[in-house]
This record gives sequence, C-alpha cells and structure tokens, in this order.
Amino acid sequence: MDYDLGADAVELRKRLRELISAHIPEGFLGACTDDPRDLATTESFCKLLASDGLLALAWPKEHGGGGGSIWQQTVLREEMWAHHEPRGAQYMGINWVGPALMRYGTAEQKARHLSAIASGEVIWCQGFSEPEAGTDLASLRTRAVPDGDGWRVTGQKVWTSYAQMASWCVLAACTDPNAPKPKRLSLFLVPMDRPGITVRPIRSMLGPHHLNEVFLDGVEVFADEVLGEVGDGWRVMREALAFERVGIARYARCESLLDRMQTELGEDWDRLPESIRARWVRALIDLRVARLLAYRAVSLQHDPSAGAAASAARIATTTCDQQVAELLFDVLGPSALDSGTSARLHGAVEDHWRYAQAATVASGTIEVQRMLVAREALGDHG
Amino acid sequence: MNTALPEDITEFAAVAAKRLARFGGPQAALRAETEEHLRDEARSALADLGAFDLDVRSSGDDLLAAAVLCQAAGAAALPYPLAEELLAIDGARLALVNPEAPRIDHGDLAGEWIAADLDGTRYHVQLSSRTSAKLGPFLVPATLTGPDGTVPAADVDTHLTLGSWRILGALQHALEITRQHVTARMQFGKPLAEFQAVRFTIADASVAVRGLFELAKFTISRTESTAAQVRSADALVLRLKAADTARQVLRTAHQLLGALGFCDESDVSVLDRHTQPLIRLPVSSEMLALRLIPGVRGGQLETLFSEPVAAEPV
Repeated sequence: MDYDLGADAVELRKRLRELISAHIPEGFLGACTDDPRDLATTESFCKLLASDGLLALAWPKEHGGGGGSIWQQTVLREEMWAHHEPRGAQYMGINWVGPALMRYGTAEQKARHLSAIASGEVIWCQGFSEPEAGTDLASLRTRAVPDGDGWRVTGQKVWTSYAQMASWCVLAACTDPNAPKPKRLSLFLVPMDRPGITVRPIRSMLGPHHLNEVFLDGVEVFADEVLGEVGDGWRVMREALAFERVGIARYARCESLLDRMQTELGEDWDRLPESIRARWVRALIDLRVARLLAYRAVSLQHDPSAGAAASAARIATTTCDQQVAELLFDVLGPSALDSGTSARLHGAVEDHWRYAQAATVASGTIEVQRMLVAREALGDHG
Repeated sequence: MNTALPEDITEFAAVAAKRLARFGGPQAALRAETEEHLRDEARSALADLGAFDLDVRSSGDDLLAAAVLCQAAGAAALPYPLAEELLAIDGARLALVNPEAPRIDHGDLAGEWIAADLDGTRYHVQLSSRTSAKLGPFLVPATLTGPDGTVPAADVDTHLTLGSWRILGALQHALEITRQHVTARMQFGKPLAEFQAVRFTIADASVAVRGLFELAKFTISRTESTAAQVRSADALVLRLKAADTARQVLRTAHQLLGALGFCDESDVSVLDRHTQPLIRLPVSSEMLALRLIPGVRGGQLETLFSEPVAAEPV
C-alpha cells in the first residue's frame, strides 16, 4: 500500500506548473468569460500542450496522444482544474469524444477527427440534453427521419456548453420511436455549420458559453456520420460517458483557492474568527478525503469490481466544491460579491461560488450518483 | 500508487473478524457489562490472534496489522483496551485523557495505567470505580497527579490512529446492520430499501464510511515516512474525521432502524453506546479542529499546494 504518484507524475506536475506560470496570465478564470482574450489564451495553450503530447495525454501515441499513465492523467486533471481549466472547451473532445471515437468510430471517422482533437484544433459540443430529457436521456425527442441515404434531424437541444464556439457536435437523436427505449437512439458526428442548425446562447449566472440552446430544423445527416451502430446510441453514450466517470478534479481547485486565499490574507488569516478557521480545517480534511476517494476510483477504473467507487468520489468532490464556495464567501464577508479583476483573487472566489452551484448538477446529478451508490449497497430495489 | 490493503493484511483482518465474532460480537460486549470474566476472554481472543506480539512502535507491518485488528475490535465492540495495551510503557497501559475531566475506558481492569494528554504530557493515575453509565459503560473516572515527564509524540499519534480504526470498524458494522435491516423490513407493502429517501440516506452514509476508510489507509501508510509534525496533524485529521463520521453514520443507523436501534438486543445500540468514549474522548471533534488550526498556515495540514514541512530538529 503506497500513495506515491510516481516520479513521472511528480515531474509532470512540476512541468505543468511551469507552463501555466509562463503562459497563463494572472487572474485567468477560464475560457467562459466576457473577455475574448481568455478564449484566445486557451487556444494557444492547448496548442502548446499538444506540441508536448500533453493535451491528449491519456490517448495512445498512434492517435496523437501522450500515452501517459493513469497517475499522470490524474495529475493533469488536477493541475488543469486547479488553474481554471486552461484547456478551455477542449475538455470534452479530449475526455470522451476522442475515446468514444477510438472505440466505436470507423477508420474514416478516426482519421478525420482524432488527430484534429489531439492537436487542439477543433472544439466539440455534446447535443444530448433536451427540454424534456435531462438526466433521463433515453427519453429524448429529437427525431432523425430517414431521408435518402441518411436522415433529416429535427428537434431542440438545451444546456449545450460551448455550442457557439464548437465546430463539431455529437448529436443524439431518436431514429426509431417504436423500438424499445434502449434501441431508439443513434449518435451522429455533425459539423455545426451545417444548414438548419441554430445556436442561441442562454444568459446564466454561470457566465457566457456555458449554456446554449441548439435548434435543429431538418438538418441533413449522413450514414457515414453515425458513431457506432444505428439504434445503439444509448449504449455508446453510456459507455462513452464512463470514460470520464472519475470526473473533474474539483478538489484541486478548492485546495488551490484556499491556498491562494491564505497567501493573500497573510497574517490576517490568524485574525479570522475561530469558527471560520475551524471550518477551514474541516474543509481541508474533506478535500483530502475527496482526493483519496478519487485516487481509489482511478486505481479501480479498469476493475469490474469497482462498483460505485467513481460515484462516491463524485459525491464527495462536488459537495466539497459548494462547502469551499460558502467558506470563502464567509471569509470575504462584505466583499464576497465583488467580481472582476479588482476583486480579491481577481474575482476567483465569486467565480467559484457561481460555478460551484452547478457542481452537483453537471455531468450526472448528485441524485444519480446517490442512486448508483445505493444500488451497489442495496441492490435494485426501487 | 496502490491504495488497497496488502493481501496478507486483508486475510489477517478476515481471521480476526471471525475470531471476534466467535467471541460473541457486540452481544458479548453487552454481557461483559455485568459478567466480568468476559473481558478476560476478550483478551484471550486477542492473544489467540497474536495481538500482543505486535510491535506497533517499530514495525510498519505490525502497525498495519494492529490497525485492522482494531477495526475488527471496533466492529465487535470488543470489551478490551487493545490500543492502550499495544502502546503500554513498561507494562503499564497508556490512556489518552483530557486532564480537565480524566476518564479511562476499562480503567478498572487489573494492571497499571499511565495517562497522557494530547500534548504528550504524562501523568500518574488514580482510578476510582466504574460508573456503569449507559454511554461508555466501562469508563472509569480518574484522578491525575503530576505532570510526570512526557510520552513520545509518536505514541500519542499512534493511539489516535488506532482508535480511529476502531471507530471505522464500528461504523462499517453499523452500516451493514442498517443495510440488512432496510432490505428486510417491510412497510407499506414493500421493503424500506425501495423508498428513495432511505436509499439516499444509505448512499450518503456509505460515501462517508468509504471516505473514512480511504483516509485511515492513507494515514497509516505514511506514518513512518512523513515528518513528525505532519504525522501528528495526520493523526488529528483522522480522529476528527472518524468522530464526525461516527455522528453521521450512527444517527443514520438509529433513524433507519427505528425503535429497534435503541434496544440492546440490536447491535447498533451496543456499538453506539460502547464506541462513545472513542468519539468523545479525550476531546471533542471541535477541540480537535481547534488543535489543527495552526497546521493550516504552518503547512502541517498538507494539501496539493502546501510547501513540504521541514523535519523538526532533534
């Protein structure tokens, strides 16, 4: 039993911190801001990572990846999220679109898309959620009606992150409404500039680019754009999402924010109310537990006996996200609501609080994670 | 990184659980409240398992074996001060106490005792008799004289850590009892386990216990390799998390077992009553949190971003 990440992972952490320090401006809060320079920063940083084989670190080298160990991948997740995800919108393409293409894509699809993703040249979005189908994706209503050699897709997607900036979409649509639920859906790889696609941004407390509506009006899709088999979309979707089931290393940003705030406060930290400092201690403990649960899930990710290890890790880390958001707001007191570069930590606390509200909703709600943990503990009752 | 317990330790844990179940589990602990000989038999069970041959001070393997033995003892609410005897000094069991209100679990057992507080200050002990309280039925009020030197900080850390493994075992068993109950108990024509509120409550308790287990493994894995100040912070962190988790999980167990969980014929009642001294003593989890506050800025409470803590000058 040991908790050593290995020399290569430790070295990678050092290298990533150097790259971030050299290329990411102070006060950077991710790609999804009102400042277009932030998006440009992520684009150039992704190309820099790609040139070092670090963007698609987990991928095999034959597809343009870095062939990194699971602990190097863990360190990459931690450092990227801790520093406000300077990969920006590339996260989705790298973490599940690419791996899904490797498993289910045709030779032509792999050739067309994988190297483009690995080099950081394209942004993907995920056309899954609909107004009537969120967590219950198998119930989605967007229809793909046969038309010649392909289909015409009509419907509406919602909450689609990065849709405005994406050049490609993995689009889920119902190809056979009369089939049993698991066989109704198919996945299509569709360019976002295809006629019939309209994107409308949704103003939200999360900031720009996070949430969009995508309207599909008779959009033409072709047989060679199907990912996997026709009617097998539900299975592909579930298995593809499992590629990132360990999830975002939210604990790393929380630890980073607490560290930055402590440095910022200096000796004033000692003058915080004792109740706040005790909460700080508990937050650090809960973050350590969340990190260890994540490491456990990573170590079991190829083990069929892993059960709900990843869900347990997600529950722990997403609740920590909100716990730390509240703690930092209470630390700042009356200036907690200040945003922008003139605010404490360049607005990172206010940004974190807003985004933490989505932690238990995005990428599988905490209720779904609880269901999975309960299923392991209690069986399939209910 | 390998986060799994070694195979031989897992096997030893299984053997220990089996032997302590043969001793009688929590129901034997209940009988021990009135039948004195049972605590001697508890010691015999531990001796059968080689407990008193373990050198927890100088062997990492022995410390890990002691940890899983404490875990098994916690699951059985074993009526014997195992950690206290494993850390005996010159044959006298070592108790961690709060000098403001010293109490020693099983302090009435034959043999010498030494008391120490969390700072490592050592005291002579004068013990009175058991109060036979509902919570902590083997607690004995003590009077301290001294101080009389110190005990090694490593002993205090190991004491806190092994006690936390004992809490872990109690919570794992309480959760398992609760799981079995909600699966079997029918209400409104279906098992309790079919109600989503029950399922979510079990899920939250399950995540809490998993988290404590991971923290317990992590803490003990680096006892020998980390700087002394970090090791001390680690031990406080683990004990604080164990106490907080205990409050959540035992509350869950009581709520889901209903009135049955308050009855001594239910192991949950015995586990709860007998584990209370470890959850509350030598100090509350609030006091543990206060002790950890200097470790935030000092870096002893390590994070992904803290600077390494220099070893203390000898």
